[in-house]
Amino acid sequence: MQVTLDKLSKSFGHVQVLHDLSMVVDEGEFLVLLGPSGCGKTTALRMIAGLEEVTSGRVRIGDRDVTDILPKYRDAAMVFQSYALYPHKTVAENIGYPLKLRKVPPPERDKTVREVAAQVQLEDYLTRYPRELSGGQRQRVALARAIIRRPAVFLMDEPLSNLDAKLRVHMRAELKHMQNTLGTTTIYVTHDQVEAMTLAHRVAILNHGRLMQFDQPKTIYRDPANLFVASFIGSPPMNMVDGTLTSGEFTGPGFAHNLGNDLSVGPAVIGFRPEDCSVVAAGTGLIPAQIYSNELIGDHTLVTCELHDGSATPHTVTVKMDKDFEAEMGTEIAIAIDPAHLYFFERESGNRVRV
Amino acid sequence: MTAAAPDRPKGLYARLFEPKRLGVMAPGTSVLVYAGLLFWTIVVLFPLYWLLVTSFKLPIDVNEGPRYLPFVDYEPSLHAWDYLLVEVGGDTFRPYVNSVIIAAISTVLAVLAGSMAAYALARITYKPRFSSILSFVVGIIAVIVLTVVAGVPWWLSLIVGLAIFALLARTIARRFNARLGNGDILFWMISQRILPPVIVAVPVYVMFQRIGLLDTHAAMIITYATVNLPIVVWLMHDFFLSIPRDLDESAEMDGATKFQIFFDIVLPLAKPGIAATSLLVLVLAWNEYLLALFLSSVDAQTMPLLVAAQNATRGPQWWSMSVLILLMIIPVVLIALALQRFIAKGLLVGAVKG
Repeated sequence: MQVTLDKLSKSFGHVQVLHDLSMVVDEGEFLVLLGPSGCGKTTALRMIAGLEEVTSGRVRIGDRDVTDILPKYRDAAMVFQSYALYPHKTVAENIGYPLKLRKVPPPERDKTVREVAAQVQLEDYLTRYPRELSGGQRQRVALARAIIRRPAVFLMDEPLSNLDAKLRVHMRAELKHMQNTLGTTTIYVTHDQVEAMTLAHRVAILNHGRLMQFDQPKTIYRDPANLFVASFIGSPPMNMVDGTLTSGEFTGPGFAHNLGNDLSVGPAVIGFRPEDCSVVAAGTGLIPAQIYSNELIGDHTLVTCELHDGSATPHTVTVKMDKDFEAEMGTEIAIAIDPAHLYFFERESGNRVRV
Repeated sequence: MTAAAPDRPKGLYARLFEPKRLGVMAPGTSVLVYAGLLFWTIVVLFPLYWLLVTSFKLPIDVNEGPRYLPFVDYEPSLHAWDYLLVEVGGDTFRPYVNSVIIAAISTVLAVLAGSMAAYALARITYKPRFSSILSFVVGIIAVIVLTVVAGVPWWLSLIVGLAIFALLARTIARRFNARLGNGDILFWMISQRILPPVIVAVPVYVMFQRIGLLDTHAAMIITYATVNLPIVVWLMHDFFLSIPRDLDESAEMDGATKFQIFFDIVLPLAKPGIAATSLLVLVLAWNEYLLALFLSSVDAQTMPLLVAAQNATRGPQWWSMSVLILLMIIPVVLIALALQRFIAKGLLVGAVKG
């Protein structure tokens, strides 16, 4: 079902943690709320769930305004970061609890529990207690408990962040597959951009309680709306170099770049991704720099280069090079950048300057 | 400069008080520790031993005492047991049953009501206005003054008092913003136990006398449940705080009501706390003397009163007291053993995280 947030705001005392969040989550869509900790994403999710009161604005699930109704009438199921399994109940009792509360007769309940348990490969663990399960199995129990009653919306609060790295990748794929099979609208909160990029149909990026950008993952990566999104998405993050943009020319430490137009914004930031630039011989390329360190990652090498901007703390940029790249630390070099992959931002507002 | 680890000291002191290896006590230390433990064991167990041997003594063995070892110092006799359990068996049995009924029911009531209050205080934030509470106090004073001084019928003064409270709370009290929190409420409750109980004994006596419930089980049960309620709230509050709120919220999303969350999820997880608290409250009710002295005489008499009554006109009957005290100790020990497995068990493993 469609989920609509209309100017949703939340204040705790005098602190406003969410400012006029408006968005429409389409039927069957996998939406990820992404942002650093404290950005209001979990609060937004909890307001949709009904676990947190709404200060102002409306929440609609389908055609129904659910802003002021109890969680149990919202037809939303939630998966918690901590899994929140009932430790004194067996796996079967945990999964079947929502049905028990809805007074589904035991034979039918048992049948449904078995079906759902099979979906998440837990048939053999139905009589176990949560403490006897591994982290990944507990996660599956939590998922099963959410899907058993076929809710209109799944709400997930960092469900994978307690798993170890390898299992997380595996569960991520499972989750994506399951959501696609069930076709249930899903709102997923995470601070992990990789989860957001891989899982989402669309990503909503929040910062300081405000919506920064709401779009498909590839658009967010290729066409960031502002400085925050540009620097938040991508690993390693986009390189940022301060300078000024006047009369179509960006001037930075030791270099100038002509945009071929007559834009003037004053203090500006130029941004480029590590994979869109390369290390070239000194005197060529765009930005003069010095090799600061090399890190061989495996299939590529990350080269950190120090700019000559005269500041006390080294201002560095990261360049992604071939795995065979080698250079002595301290070597003078230059960084060449494909002009098509340069991004410009106003320094004060962080807004994108489109050229 | 480097600070090297010190060498192992040598000499007699080191040989006695430096552990030879990790995980063992030095010989001198263990002698001291075990001597202390042995001393304390004797302090704790000797009174129990004395009770046991005294219960098998004849009056002459006590009066010409002290005699320590049965069969050696004196010839054990079943005289006291026979007297209390057979000759006047009914008079021993009745207070025993009274004690069981009163302690058991009052404990169940106190633990049930107290855990609900504690759960509410652990999960819901209350912000009563200080001025509203003052209004309530003013209302109560009005009721008392009208009834006692002015001679107004009690039901009329109750209505007037409520009206005064409502009026003040809705008007003047709203202008003041000082509020109390959950901590204040909790402290207010436990503060009821800071006062010596003798202060309330007389008013409680008069109250039950007026409504004709003196010397009944009901009066004793109500009083004990009320007196023990603050202890239950105070102890259970901590146990409920240790249960992750995620579990409540998860159950709420699953469709449970507040009462379903309490009885299905929270209470089963608080079993160790319930067991420990019940045991404490049960023992308090089982051993209570002062209020029982005021509220019961014959029909609702409890064991502590019967024990005290053995110090009668004929002088203290130590042998009878010993028998009765042993009879009182047995069920408490059995219950403690039965509840022990709950108290030690960690029930929250597997609830949250990996």
